[in-house]
Amino acid sequence: MGRPSEAAGMEALHQLKSTEPPQWLAPSASLSESARAASQHLFASLRPHVRKSPFDELLVDNFDAEQIWQQIDLLTQPLVRSIRRRVKHWEKNPAEIENLLPEVADGGKKVAQGKKMEEIDDDDDDDGGDMDMDDDDDDDDEEMDVDNDGEQDGGKDEGDESEEEEEEKSGGIEDKFLKIKELQEHLEDEEARHYGLDAKNKKSKKKSGSKKLEDEDDDSEEGEEDKEEDDDEDEEVDLFAGGDDEDEEDEMGNARYEDFFGKKKGGSEPKPRFKDELGEDSSSGEEEKEEELSSDDDDDEEEDDDENVNKKPKVLSTHEKEVQKIKSEIEKMEKANLDPKTWTMQGEVTAANRPKNSALEVDLDFEHNVRPVPVITEEVTQSLEEIIKKRIIEGQFDDIKRAPGLPSKAPRELKPVDENKSNKGLAEVYEEEFVQQTDPAAAPLSFSDEQKKEIIEDMSIQSNVPALAMEEIAPVAVSDAAMLAPEEVFSGKGNVKAEVELTQTERKRRRAKKKRKFKAVETKKMASKKAREDELRKQKEGTLLVVQVTHLCCQINVMLNQKL
Amino acid sequence: MSDGKVQFRKVSVPPHRYTPLKKAWMEIYTPVYEQMKIDIRMNLKARKVELKTRVDTPDISNLQKCADFVHAFMMGFDVIDAVALLRMDELYVDSFEIKDVKTLKGEHKSRAIGRLSGKGGKTKFSIENATKTRIVLADEKIHILGSFRNIKIARDALCSLILGAPPGKVNSKLRQVTARSAELF
Repeated sequence: MGRPSEAAGMEALHQLKSTEPPQWLAPSASLSESARAASQHLFASLRPHVRKSPFDELLVDNFDAEQIWQQIDLLTQPLVRSIRRRVKHWEKNPAEIENLLPEVADGGKKVAQGKKMEEIDDDDDDDGGDMDMDDDDDDDDEEMDVDNDGEQDGGKDEGDESEEEEEEKSGGIEDKFLKIKELQEHLEDEEARHYGLDAKNKKSKKKSGSKKLEDEDDDSEEGEEDKEEDDDEDEEVDLFAGGDDEDEEDEMGNARYEDFFGKKKGGSEPKPRFKDELGEDSSSGEEEKEEELSSDDDDDEEEDDDENVNKKPKVLSTHEKEVQKIKSEIEKMEKANLDPKTWTMQGEVTAANRPKNSALEVDLDFEHNVRPVPVITEEVTQSLEEIIKKRIIEGQFDDIKRAPGLPSKAPRELKPVDENKSNKGLAEVYEEEFVQQTDPAAAPLSFSDEQKKEIIEDMSIQSNVPALAMEEIAPVAVSDAAMLAPEEVFSGKGNVKAEVELTQTERKRRRAKKKRKFKAVETKKMASKKAREDELRKQKEGTLLVVQVTHLCCQINVMLNQKL
Repeated sequence: MSDGKVQFRKVSVPPHRYTPLKKAWMEIYTPVYEQMKIDIRMNLKARKVELKTRVDTPDISNLQKCADFVHAFMMGFDVIDAVALLRMDELYVDSFEIKDVKTLKGEHKSRAIGRLSGKGGKTKFSIENATKTRIVLADEKIHILGSFRNIKIARDALCSLILGAPPGKVNSKLRQVTARSAELF
């Protein structure tokens, strides 16, 4: 493919610059064409400066973005190295620069220097934006890193040689690792970056090196952290500082925060900005390029051959980052407050109000109102048994004693109520009551006294006849109880046995007794009988005698009478 | 002194009290006529005892007292008991029926009446003596004569008997009552 003219290339660059960032989102053939053209043009402009390169021109037709990239890379790598070396050299000997570019004025001199720096920056960007002196976290291309290191090492050596000349005077504190002057410069750098360009500009003249303002915040943080670190970082810083300083002084003497970080109110929003971390670098580099090509400085994207748009988050300062962090935290907390509380934070939660099995995951703590089950071991039983035995031996039991009842009053005497018809009339009853209340002395005796009088023992003969016969003829209740109580019926002593209960001996004893009795009675009878009979006989005999005597007398009388 | 007007009271005589009235007429007449100063007569045709105030009746309440006295006699109380009405103001006559306490029919009613009176009337007498009241059991109707508090006690005892309490229980309660009342005085 024929190489397009310079003008065409410039035109392509213009076009790229003028496209709006959103247009890059969608792949478009025209943009691709112009991008390729622009890269070719740039390639061509750089080619003369490189001594040996496999490509004379950038091949873009039907080439992949990756392939184009590699071509650029091959070209620019040695170029960057050489330029770096040169820049270092010029740092030390500013006078030479004037000699190199005599046609340019003082201001132009600086511009040229800046330009060179910008070219380097460009190359850095072309390479993939990793050639920043302060290690970038974002685009970490391994090759770039390696290159970086190599470059750094080279840079360091030069820096060391230059620095050592300056600072041999300082005291014994410093050694090859600790350079107080460098430390100071570094600190001033950091301060400047932190607080703004103005400060830096004031200080920049003093120091020999300062960091680029476009550096990332994390770089700055790193730098702050690594204040005591070895010289490498400082050396790196030193390399680019001078050129940058002059450059920025010139162009952005009145640069403000907004230029770099965008407007705070609107600009802090993450707009879809298609800038690399070296975006700003590239922007200044682009500016330089534009100036070179007479274009305005503007935030324009780096021309990338690959159509893919890099969506990187906007670069933020330390403060902004902190603010953002705090804001996000606040938002989080506010959101948490507004949302309904988790079930564990609510008060009383039933099973319906919490997710299933959620209580298993939570460590619940509640009081168990249950005494733990006592474990019965041998020792326990033994101890219990010992207690029991001891108590039994002592006789100390825990019997429940009846609680003593309440102190009772003396039982009221219950007067027996008369069941007979009262003789007094009601009036008299009340009269008596009244009198008793008013004048107890004059009151007559009460019924109980009358009752006491009536208790008289009276004797009467009670025969053991069925009660029925003695009481009313038509009794209300029929009772066949006897009048006499059993003990009244029979007052026997001893063990009275029934006929059938008697044993043989007892029967014999009874008979013998009966016989004895009988005999006793009989003898008495006989005796008395005998006595009577004797008497009778006697009487009889007496009477007989008397009769006989009288008979004799009669006979005698008769005889006498006869005789006479 | 009465209002100036002559007032009448008429108390009807139930047939079963006719003969007792005849027998106890003088006992009724004497306190009424002489102490209360109320005219009293028996209207045979109408079977009513008529009472009338006299000129020298001291108080109109005498008439009412006499009427109550006669009425109490008609209910069945003895004269000597009824006379208490004349002598004391705070005596009242309370009447109620067995069916007021409990609805009983037939044999149950008869048994209830028997429980009330007891054997030979001893339950009734025991209540009378314990509570200083007089009780008349007229088949279904029960009349109690006495002071207000005593009427209440007697009525409680009688009601418990109607409801079926054994006489022994009622007796024990009565004893307690008498003991308590004795303590009071």
